[in-house]
Amino acid sequence: MPRRYHGLKKIKVRQDWSRETLYNLSRLQAPRIGNRTFFQQKWTAKSLMRGYHNPYVREGTWTRMFDRRLPAVVPMDHRYLARYDGSEMTSGRGRGRQEPPKGTMNGEEEATKPQATPYMQMTFGPLERRLDTAIWRALFSSSVKQARQFVVHGWVKVNGKKMTYPGYQLNPGDMFQVDPERVMYATGARKITKDSSASDQDFRAEDTEIEKKLQEREAAEDEANGDSEAGAATLESAEEREAMSTAPEDEPDAKKAMKNLITRAKRILDESKQTLSGKRQQELRAFAQSVKKTMSKHRNTPEGEAAAEETIDTMETALAEIMTKIPTDIIPTQTTAEEGASKNPQAEDAEVYAARKDAELLHAALERARANPVDASKPYATPWKPRDYMSAFAFIPRYLEVNQNICSAVYLRHPVARPGLAEVPTPFNSETAALAFNWYLRRR
Amino acid sequence: MFDWLKRGPGRNLRDPLADSTNYLSAYDKEGRLRRAQNVDLKKYRESAAAATNGPRPLSTAEKKAEDAMIAQENADGITDDEKAANALQRAQLRARGSAEEISLPRERSGDLRPYPMNEHFRSQSVLSEELREQIYQQVAVVGLGVDTVASSFGVDMRRVAAVVRLKTIEKQWVGQGKSLAKPYNDAVLAMLPKTEYSPTRVTPHESINDLPVHPRTRNQLFYPTSESRHFTREDAAKAFDPKLLPADKRIPLPVLVKLEKWNLENLPREERQRRLREDDLAERTAQLAKEEKKAAWEARTQRVVPGRRWDFKFQDISAEKVGKDGRGRDAVGYRYGMPHEDRKRGLIKIPTSVE
Repeated sequence: MPRRYHGLKKIKVRQDWSRETLYNLSRLQAPRIGNRTFFQQKWTAKSLMRGYHNPYVREGTWTRMFDRRLPAVVPMDHRYLARYDGSEMTSGRGRGRQEPPKGTMNGEEEATKPQATPYMQMTFGPLERRLDTAIWRALFSSSVKQARQFVVHGWVKVNGKKMTYPGYQLNPGDMFQVDPERVMYATGARKITKDSSASDQDFRAEDTEIEKKLQEREAAEDEANGDSEAGAATLESAEEREAMSTAPEDEPDAKKAMKNLITRAKRILDESKQTLSGKRQQELRAFAQSVKKTMSKHRNTPEGEAAAEETIDTMETALAEIMTKIPTDIIPTQTTAEEGASKNPQAEDAEVYAARKDAELLHAALERARANPVDASKPYATPWKPRDYMSAFAFIPRYLEVNQNICSAVYLRHPVARPGLAEVPTPFNSETAALAFNWYLRRR
Repeated sequence: MFDWLKRGPGRNLRDPLADSTNYLSAYDKEGRLRRAQNVDLKKYRESAAAATNGPRPLSTAEKKAEDAMIAQENADGITDDEKAANALQRAQLRARGSAEEISLPRERSGDLRPYPMNEHFRSQSVLSEELREQIYQQVAVVGLGVDTVASSFGVDMRRVAAVVRLKTIEKQWVGQGKSLAKPYNDAVLAMLPKTEYSPTRVTPHESINDLPVHPRTRNQLFYPTSESRHFTREDAAKAFDPKLLPADKRIPLPVLVKLEKWNLENLPREERQRRLREDDLAERTAQLAKEEKKAAWEARTQRVVPGRRWDFKFQDISAEKVGKDGRGRDAVGYRYGMPHEDRKRGLIKIPTSVE
């Protein structure tokens, strides 16, 4: 490990998603080699490229992996192959044909100039076969070093079996899986403190604002932990106040109980847009319990059944979710969009319709919350979001097929060069790569 | 550096750009998008955020209109599904009216370079989720062959197989109730260029007939031949190496060439299908014959002695194979005299394959 890993004076591009690397990438230039000897040129190029291409692999190991035969493919058009048998290529000069036939590999119409195959960019291709590099290329970790750590710590499986060697050379068709929690940690925003779920990315803009927001947040949490009475004053309407004060399980009328429930659910949904304070969490738990009681009570009475049986069912399944998970960050604007429908007791069927709408709404909201919940116990900031500067580095080379849902990928084949395109991702131009390639040829 | 990150082009790279990739080469020195110089990115980001966060709360006038609409619907007595659809439509209309329409043009190939200095590397598109699902359905549910699906979607055969394999595991996880990395999936796919699925039009994802460059063809060859000779690809391959096959046979899907040839001959559809069936049958019988031959050879030459845990197979070998230096690669005892170092301290033995 070099002493100054992210140097700003001597530009080094590393295999990670750091802002230093991004900045260095933006001002990276071809090395100035005009007045230097060939050996010096090669040395500079090679040291630059090795600084990027897995410097953790020892030079001796890498030189043994190096292969001067660089793989390439030529895309063939089956229509062209069917139409011509190859003799048209020889029908030139001596036979009177001056121009090549119109039909090119790329199609019948346009005769494009064939592009050169950038072989030299494939110099470090064998390193892409390593497990740790492939994990990073599949966007499962934020750096090769981290990928290496995941492998060593046993979070990675190859073809369903635990693999602890970061230097394992993937074979075409190998599938590697990384623990999704590790991936979320590696690629997600970082937490500020251990106990809170907030990330440093939540507080953007100027530093003063960050402090202000932090203070606000702390104040809110203090208040939540202290007295529980203050919250009651913020209840807006009489309807809400009534809903919050009467226990639904004591309510004799099933319809009214349902209405109360919905009011309370709405309030919770609105609140959850802001961060869920400790008091609100207590309230939520109490609410879920009371809902359960109400449901069980009215389930037995014929009147309750008549109200809306399916509604209660959907509500109950939805609220069973509340019991296990504390929902937050639900998009409350959905509620507002449907508010007109729910607060419009025009007729009997309208009310049932509204009730069902509410239950559906709650269910959808819970779905969303469950997919990306707030959970302070996670090692990353929740709800999960990608870390800063990830998008500038996000690409998946074609020799991998990745399924992000299960954090697994298949190494399809070795990277190849094709006309105009090399599949080994490297930040350097082909001249530098050619010099480095020449360095690793035995005779230098 | 911090100046570049906060006020320079780096400020645009911090967060992903909605409906677009966000690479370094897409911006110029001042941090403007090269493909849309006039677009105010700050405004674009705000409008995109508004679109994803849903519509703003209704004003009183809008609320009244909404109530009236619902009353009207109730009076008309339409079904609940229709009501819901209408409500959604109204919400979308409102959202469209409120947000200013700022759109970015599609990325050009120059905008897709994550490494600005490397002209030969581009971020290539990945399969969208719908396309993956379609491929899975075609192979696993409909039961089409991998090569058929590969040629109909324009996706490499190996990729088709990998997609099906990964999708199968994903469905298993869903069945087992294991949680998927859904937020990660959505975020990453939003950052990458994608090949979308459309039921009407096929966008080829990649070239499906890649011909590997054979090492024998790397050297330039001067091969004099008579001018009148009909010199085909087959002859050219022979000139490079007597055993080298022509490109028509070395590509992954040679059947496409055959089909296209029949097409050019204007063969009727039934005739083409009949020929294809015949060829398939011939191929299968040839394969079977080969397997039978191998089994017969094994029965003839190999003697199997069942052991307690393993079967021992004995086969006659030729001692001549060792060659001049006694270390022929295929010969018996080719490592005699070469000590294994893998039991030494500090030398680790990394597996070369995992079954």
